[in-house]
Amino acid sequence: MTTIHTIGIDIGSGAVKSTLFRVTDGRPEWLAKRVERIRRRDPMTLAQEGLDSVLAESGLAANDIDYIATTGEGENVKFATGHFYSMTTHARGGVFLHPGISAVVDIGALNGRAIFVDERGKVLAYKMTSQCASGSGQFLENIARYLGVAVEEIGPLSQSSKNPEKCSSICAVLAETDVINMVSRGIATPDVLKGIHLSMASRIVKLLKVTGIKQGVALITGGLALDSGLLAAIQEEMVNEKVSVTALSHPDSIYAGAIGAALWGAFRHAKLNELQQRAAA
Amino acid sequence: MRCFIGIDLGSTTTKAVVIDEQQNILGRGITNSRSNYDTAAAIAKQEALVNSRFHLFRQALGSTQALNGALDGFIGQLERDFRSEQYLEQLADLEQTCQRSLASAHFGDATQAVGVTLTEVFRRLTAEAPTLFAPGANRKSDFFRDIAGSQYLATGETVSKEAGTRYDFLLNVFDRSIIEVENRVYGDSIRRHLLAALERTFVALPDTAQRRTQVEAPIKGILDTELEEAYVVGTGYGRARLPFSKEHVRSEILCHGLGAHVMYPGTATVLDIGGQDTKAIQVDPAGIVESFQMNDRCAAGCGRYLGYIADEMNMGLHELGPMAMKSTKTIRINSTCTVFAGAELRDRLSLGDKREDIMAGLHRAIILRAMSILARSGGIRDQFTFTGGVAKNEAAVKALKELVKENYGELTLNIDPDSIYTGALGGATFAWRAVVEDGKNIEARV
Repeated sequence: MTTIHTIGIDIGSGAVKSTLFRVTDGRPEWLAKRVERIRRRDPMTLAQEGLDSVLAESGLAANDIDYIATTGEGENVKFATGHFYSMTTHARGGVFLHPGISAVVDIGALNGRAIFVDERGKVLAYKMTSQCASGSGQFLENIARYLGVAVEEIGPLSQSSKNPEKCSSICAVLAETDVINMVSRGIATPDVLKGIHLSMASRIVKLLKVTGIKQGVALITGGLALDSGLLAAIQEEMVNEKVSVTALSHPDSIYAGAIGAALWGAFRHAKLNELQQRAAA
Repeated sequence: MRCFIGIDLGSTTTKAVVIDEQQNILGRGITNSRSNYDTAAAIAKQEALVNSRFHLFRQALGSTQALNGALDGFIGQLERDFRSEQYLEQLADLEQTCQRSLASAHFGDATQAVGVTLTEVFRRLTAEAPTLFAPGANRKSDFFRDIAGSQYLATGETVSKEAGTRYDFLLNVFDRSIIEVENRVYGDSIRRHLLAALERTFVALPDTAQRRTQVEAPIKGILDTELEEAYVVGTGYGRARLPFSKEHVRSEILCHGLGAHVMYPGTATVLDIGGQDTKAIQVDPAGIVESFQMNDRCAAGCGRYLGYIADEMNMGLHELGPMAMKSTKTIRINSTCTVFAGAELRDRLSLGDKREDIMAGLHRAIILRAMSILARSGGIRDQFTFTGGVAKNEAAVKALKELVKENYGELTLNIDPDSIYTGALGGATFAWRAVVEDGKNIEARV
């Protein structure tokens, strides 16, 4: 019986996510997790804090860990054993959270990406949004701030909208004046939020289409996965666009990248061991 | 006397220009555009009219020789005293409004203590007011919100610490009161303030008090002259929301083209980089627009881009240019989107690039966007006039000069220090033409 302990750290543009796994003969067991919003702090310091925190939660010591894997913007983390490309880690993490899915849609603070996966989490195809922050997580957060709405309230408010305000993509930076204009035209907060959710959803559904995802379940991951309003809007857009894909979320969706990194770390560690043993023999 | 007024309602600031029958600029006024466009337009116009009075005072006093040699000092002192009078009235208004807001706040038992603290804060603010308007005093901004706000925050923190009341209660009261005060138009008190300021100026400059009657007569004469608003033209981002009839509204493209032509009659190409848009305009020798291009509603390439970067760096907007001027190395910014550029900035800082080099790269990035808009509008022709808030930024101007020389060769680049008023000047010129050339009358005024 072989037991491997691995840590996965996903440094995003909005938050740093850390997970700790024990993998026994290929069977993963999730021991600890931690998420910390960056808020203009140094991501490298937060990565160290994440590492310390998951170690403390699992009761393990630093030298019990066989592999520390980073993903996202984590190339420069000094204590890492290796780094994985975020498409592969999100795919692997998505399949761990929800086996049987055919796609992972990651909606982060700056980027959105659709990843077409097979049942083992292998990436078949992927597409990313272009170089514009409109419709990203940070964008939605800005809008909420201008409207004076807490992030947790966004979903329920949006779902209570009766008459969504149509809007095309709005520049994330100029959105403040757009929102002021909408409010001064007397548009209710739920209708503004729902309108924005629908415009984001339409981009996401387009992204799924061009990636070639036509059926099955798409797991939404990233910081926006828990926004019930966005999830509902995506579902509506799927119906409108006649895409027979079901969008789902998972309470731990935000950890998908970190989970994938930890699991790929364990896999690579096992492979390296195997190679070494073979070389010794 | 008949005046012709142009009001440019921008996304960040609202500008007004007053011209006389000979098309001389009498006065300029500026205020921040808040969410209430009607008020912003009214205040900018009023500021411009006050500024016109000072212009006329200077002219009248200059021609009487009553103050020969001491004229500049006198007008400067008068203006400071006037601002100070205005500030005190608004401050008193703010105090009353704050106390009213307090009465409707939910601070429970703390309410009374906050009231006492407020009274003390305003006592100190009133006492400090004269130093703000002393000769040579350095004010970061001339807007009441900014001056009173920064004073209130600083004094409020000290006083609440001394009194043991919660600072955030004070902030809450201020936030709820400032908009109301800022949106009040103090039109009828201007004459009173000017007369009060005149008395103060005589006290401050005893030499001039000896010539009191000679000085007073022309000033009172001008105060009694009505500045008749013969025609008003509105333009800018918020023009659709101005309380004017269609007759009185011109697009900002037309106004910018004409304004640039009035400033520099040789203008053939205009580049305007404002807060939320960038315009490239080609005008004919009469200042009429031939073609133009604008950017889409995207902050990349506009002034707001620099504003966002300043926020990211925790710096003031006016500090960016000077910092970028210290750059010694060219850094290319790869992101187009403002938010991505902010992320790239953080990445580059963590990789050890110097702040000034990154800043220079960001300024170059804005100008590169402008260059592509210029190219789409038909290129740059001689003379080339650069206007808008970004034209005040030396690093942006430097990048523009380099790129223009590289792509179009040597040509004349015009930048007026008052270029922020270009649109309003164009509007005022349209107002003048409507009355003087087309014989439109005042009746259409709303």
